[in-house]
Amino acid sequence: MKNKPYKRKPGDFEIRILKNGRVVMITPDETLLEVAQAVDPNSSVLPPKMETKENVRT
Amino acid sequence: MDCRAHREAISRAKVARKALIRCNLCPRRCGVDRTAGEKGYCGLDDSVRCFREMLYSGEESELVPSHQIHFAGCNLKCEFCVVAEWNEQPYAAKEMNVEDMVKKISYRRNQGAKTLNLLGGEPAVNLHGILELLGRIKPAITVVWNSNMYYNDIVDMLMTGLADIYLADLKCGNADCAEALLGAKNYVAVARQNILKAGKHADVIVRHLIMPGHRECCLKPTLTWLAENIPEVKLSLRGNYIPPAEAISAPRRYLKEEELQCAKDMAQSMGLKLIE
Repeated sequence: MKNKPYKRKPGDFEIRILKNGRVVMITPDETLLEVAQAVDPNSSVLPPKMETKENVRT
Repeated sequence: MDCRAHREAISRAKVARKALIRCNLCPRRCGVDRTAGEKGYCGLDDSVRCFREMLYSGEESELVPSHQIHFAGCNLKCEFCVVAEWNEQPYAAKEMNVEDMVKKISYRRNQGAKTLNLLGGEPAVNLHGILELLGRIKPAITVVWNSNMYYNDIVDMLMTGLADIYLADLKCGNADCAEALLGAKNYVAVARQNILKAGKHADVIVRHLIMPGHRECCLKPTLTWLAENIPEVKLSLRGNYIPPAEAISAPRRYLKEEELQCAKDMAQSMGLKLIE
């Protein structure tokens, strides 16, 4: 086993759980942000769910 | 976006593409021909690659919800970069299809995006693709240039009138720390000058990531410079430093709550306008 810490590769996500219980998500995508909001509903990083309509006209 | 600048965006993209022939977009001045497939310090040829686009509410409150478009490739090598994997291997990211991205921008607007947030990596090294994209979207969109501000005059010139807000990620406060942490000894001087230039034609928010243990060498000189040169600027102090798994020069710990508060107190004592 290597002594060096694992180095993230493109597409990897890293979640750290610190000794004080704090959870750190490193540059999460939307899916991970949804997970964060499920864990902490008061999380402010995810925008409120909104009804959407795909609008292709610009 | 200024309407005249918007009309010029496509022709400005052509100018930016020409600058790639002997690339001089940033102070690295690699001089490589990116249009011929050569790669500069940023690791890019002339293809524009995006590794993520998403709606995000973790930016400064006046910008959110913000539609972030993350461009791969960067002209700094910050030891603590949280997206280093995409900057080291930009070709792992998909090449941007302008038409698809235009649709996504429209979709995100309908989802509630208040701003279009161009970030990276570093947007400046992707300037030609960004200008082409901006030329294809509605000028009514509020564009945020979320940059390390380490670029040459040509970038400021070609972006004038197109970016409504410069979200200037001003790191470090002296040349030695900039060299050790970012790999760019002249970073602080260049970024500060570009912030002053941006302030002449757009709104500016200066964001400073507080580095644990860099109070006297980085935080204090940065706040002092802001107070002396642009005291009216909006300042966002960020306490979310994440220590890299392997650090040579970068701090190996998280910032403490009291250190963040101390930084905010220092900024306020200098009369700076803090935003969250």
